[in-house]
Amino acid sequence: MIRNFFLIYGLAVLATVSFAEYRGWSLNRVDQVLNVPKSVRDNPGSYRSVYSYYHHYTGGK
Amino acid sequence: MSTSGPTPAGPPQVKSLSCPNCGASLTVRSFGNAITVVCDSCHSVLDARDPKLKVLQQFHASTSEDPPLIPLGTRGAIRGVVYEVIGFQRRTIQVEGISYSWHEYVLFNPAKGFRYLTEYDGHWNDVSILRSLPDVSSGGAWLTYLGETYKHFQTADAATSYVLGEFPWQVRVGETVSVSDYVSPPRVISSEGSGKEVTWSLGEYLGGRDIWKAFKLEGEPPAPIGVYENQPSPLSANVKGIWALTGVFLIVLLTLAVGAYWMEGDEQIFEQTFEFNTSAKGEASFVTDIFQLKGRTSDVVLATSADVDNNWIYLNYALINEDTGHAYDFGREVSYYHGRDSDGAWTEGSTTNTVTVPSVPPGNYYLRVEPESDPNKGIIRYTVTVKRDVPQASFFGLALLALLIPAGLITWRSLNFEHLRWAESDYGSSSTSGGDE
Repeated sequence: MIRNFFLIYGLAVLATVSFAEYRGWSLNRVDQVLNVPKSVRDNPGSYRSVYSYYHHYTGGK
Repeated sequence: MSTSGPTPAGPPQVKSLSCPNCGASLTVRSFGNAITVVCDSCHSVLDARDPKLKVLQQFHASTSEDPPLIPLGTRGAIRGVVYEVIGFQRRTIQVEGISYSWHEYVLFNPAKGFRYLTEYDGHWNDVSILRSLPDVSSGGAWLTYLGETYKHFQTADAATSYVLGEFPWQVRVGETVSVSDYVSPPRVISSEGSGKEVTWSLGEYLGGRDIWKAFKLEGEPPAPIGVYENQPSPLSANVKGIWALTGVFLIVLLTLAVGAYWMEGDEQIFEQTFEFNTSAKGEASFVTDIFQLKGRTSDVVLATSADVDNNWIYLNYALINEDTGHAYDFGREVSYYHGRDSDGAWTEGSTTNTVTVPSVPPGNYYLRVEPESDPNKGIIRYTVTVKRDVPQASFFGLALLALLIPAGLITWRSLNFEHLRWAESDYGSSSTSGGDE
């Protein structure tokens, strides 16, 4: 019983990692924005990044 | 326990007699086979071979002091043979000043003879007398029987503390024998003896539900408490198989990883070095040239390398599909600080940063880059590199953990089960064997 469960579990793990590799999944967080106007190429400043207001680190030890 | 193909025991051979001590009627179920019979009214131990039922012993006990879970006279099939419960006794051992008691039921079948059931804290054993002697090691640490090795578990003096019904031996309350148990779950071999006479028996672990089903008892059996000496571990039989499967899975995982690093493109699509003048005013953002991401939907790895020295640069990135307007928006900081203080030299951060953008479809893309830093810190040079279809080691690492953790947990639980088993033995620590489980 537990061996069959582990067999299915292990196959699921391998299938998931294979699919993740094939599709290029990532653990990094990236936001997606749809319908960015083509005018951004001519006027890059018109695009507002969702990270524009990031609180920057200014430190060092 | 099998209940198929029962061996008919025939009608119960019951003979009614009277107790010579109190006059109460006695029911003798194994007449001709019992050596002693106990009056359940006055608890006189009577000589069953004596026509006058000579009183051998009397002991003081309330009839309700320790009622058998399987009432005397109950019949049930064990391994296909119908037996009747004819006797019941409680035996007690003392370990480090604590009393541990278990119950023994005497079963009788006119054709097959006697058999026994033992019960301790909801754990049951089907016990029969050995026909041949086991081979005991010189130190008594183990024995072999029919090619199987049994480890010594416990030796203690067991005293009979309560009796009821019939027995195929001269039973006495207070009688003490030395009992040694050797275990090879689910079996246990026990020796009982005083002086030169030693009786060997073989027990096999049974669940309470099996007993209840065999004897058609009402209600539920008492729940087993703790781990019994010969209780089979529900996991130990699976440990080898689980690790064998884990080994196969790890080989497959390694093959997948090698295949991924061999087959995936890891192709550099774009690389360019830029300068950010921190003193300049005005709009800092700009866009790169268009580059093409080919192939299937896959990841894009963007690496930033900057010549920051006790400084930082933050880059707002947008990877924008020129055709669809679909943008992947992310920010990355590159900061590197170093110095020396009372603890010595120190560094913090790095001059490089890498981010993986997941599942990016093929198409024509460009980067919109917006650098930021503290003002008036001079010119910061940074290089942006874009790679396509890069294997992600993190997923293989996670898969490795996902495969190892269940196998490790099962192994740990199996070892813990064995630890609990042996904690109750002569070889367990006193701190764990103190509880009367």
